Amino acid sequence: MLGHLVGRRAFCLAVFAFLFVIPFGANQYFLFVANLMILFIILSLGLNLLIGFAGQLAFANASMYGIGAYGTGLLMKHFALPYWFSAPAGTLIAMSVGTLLALPALRLSGIYLALTTLAFAQFTLWLMMHWTPVTFGAGGFVPPPIDFGSLPVSGGQAIYFISWVVCVLLFFVAKHTMESPIGRAFVAIRDREIAAQSLGIDLLKYKALAFAMSGFFAGAAGALYAGVLGFVGPESFDLLQMVMHKAAVVLGGMGSIAGSVIGGVLIVVLQEGVKEIAFPIEIVFGGLLLLFMLFQPTGVVVLLKRWLPGWQEPLHYAPRRVRRAATQPAPAAAQAGED
Amino acid sequence: MQSVLQVIGASVAFGGVHALDDISIDFKPGKITGIIGPNGAGKTTLLNVICGMTPATSGEVLLNGTRLTGMKPSRIAGLGLRRTFQASQLFAGMTVLENMMVGLHLMSSSGLAGAVFRTTKMRTEEAEMRRRAMEALDYVGFAHFADRPGSALSFGQQRIVEIARTLIYEPKVVLLDEPAVGLSVNRVAELDALLRRIRDERGITLIMIEHVIRLVMGVSDWIVVLGSGRKIAEGLPDTVRADQRVVEAYLGHQQHA
Repeated sequence: MLGHLVGRRAFCLAVFAFLFVIPFGANQYFLFVANLMILFIILSLGLNLLIGFAGQLAFANASMYGIGAYGTGLLMKHFALPYWFSAPAGTLIAMSVGTLLALPALRLSGIYLALTTLAFAQFTLWLMMHWTPVTFGAGGFVPPPIDFGSLPVSGGQAIYFISWVVCVLLFFVAKHTMESPIGRAFVAIRDREIAAQSLGIDLLKYKALAFAMSGFFAGAAGALYAGVLGFVGPESFDLLQMVMHKAAVVLGGMGSIAGSVIGGVLIVVLQEGVKEIAFPIEIVFGGLLLLFMLFQPTGVVVLLKRWLPGWQEPLHYAPRRVRRAATQPAPAAAQAGED
Repeated sequence: MQSVLQVIGASVAFGGVHALDDISIDFKPGKITGIIGPNGAGKTTLLNVICGMTPATSGEVLLNGTRLTGMKPSRIAGLGLRRTFQASQLFAGMTVLENMMVGLHLMSSSGLAGAVFRTTKMRTEEAEMRRRAMEALDYVGFAHFADRPGSALSFGQQRIVEIARTLIYEPKVVLLDEPAVGLSVNRVAELDALLRRIRDERGITLIMIEHVIRLVMGVSDWIVVLGSGRKIAEGLPDTVRADQRVVEAYLGHQQHA
């Protein structure tokens, strides 16, 4: 009975409602953790559009997150620009850089694209650490405090509610886009790039859109992060961060919007839990990522779909390996195909 | 009769190897043309050149007089030239209906903003696409598969859905790369009937590579024979069957046999 009531809609509504009421009761620590959850929902939604839906195995999400944060913080620090201007500007800078990554993606795929984007991520990290006159180097920097002006709340709560609103808006952007011809074009490119082309889908246009959207999401999360933490430093955007974004997408469910909400919350809960027991966090996330890739590549959402009759997950999650097995041509066809 | 599709002096060289060597073919509208030839004759390369996936080293392709050479495959698809592939190309992460709707992708004009804000225009277009996709599935008798995952269909069923997906955008020309590969005898008979229906009821020009000789000779109005990247012969099925050059291409020279 309960199972029929728990659908994707009810679940996401509950998560957002829960996150909305947090500031009314929680202490500083829980407010910060809940704010991180919001950021991770944004990050995992954005990365899911790119790797889960469009199938572009890129490893630069943490850099886009970093560029969003650095862009925002540096505009405030160097040019004394207000947050309400710097944050959108930082987001747009991240989106532009992200879009450029679509260019290698036109020629490369799979592991080659992964390596290229990883190299790019290491390069941006290097810039953050060593381009001291601009980025203040490995020690990071503290942007000027945000002036919330006439908002009825201030400090941590103000940035929290801004994050919440941005997250809900981006949730609907992701959901609506993926339920449109654009979402089908993404999945078509992921599943069968050549067939997608032959049906009129322009690879450059849709790959660029996928990279731009995920860059925008990560940049927005970064811009918010600069405000939430009040500090910007390179260690927040390293390889571990990338692993965490990827783990959020994979644990939740590749190609599932509800899965990204689950993954974002789950990763932050795990992170804080692991901190509590003082166990190396790299091992936990690396291990989890590996275990899920091997044994549950469709993520938590597909388990929920199995257990909860009300959970009507659209098909878009089908992961690469499962698809290969399922659509292998008959033996006779395979032979003929080799001619 | 005016040609719907013309291949004029098309050559493709991969390194020093001529996959296609100065091929010229006129395809008549509303007819089924079968392309046959031994393995390695360049049949699939020819299809790839026509649909823009392999650039021709020289020569050109015209669709109703429009030069296709140098265009992206997605652009050529928009001009009304669609194709299927040797291996199944259904999108496994979508239902059969959604697979069909991808075939109508170019119908949607509301873009990112339309999708984000769910505009009336966008929803009207979606509904229209859904309706036409159902209609096209119904045409091949597969309406009851609409909500199944593409990968849940048998191999033969997937081939039929793929053919239906090429028809949905009202194409002028459809290229079929070995549609009968891996099909049982009964399925081949069904395919034969379907191809005739497409030609007779829809007037679509079909160009088919096929190794199942009974199918291709039975259903085609015109046969083109390729061998080692060259056009060896073309003509009515019966004429081609009796052509000594064709027999040689398949079986080798008489004196060596």
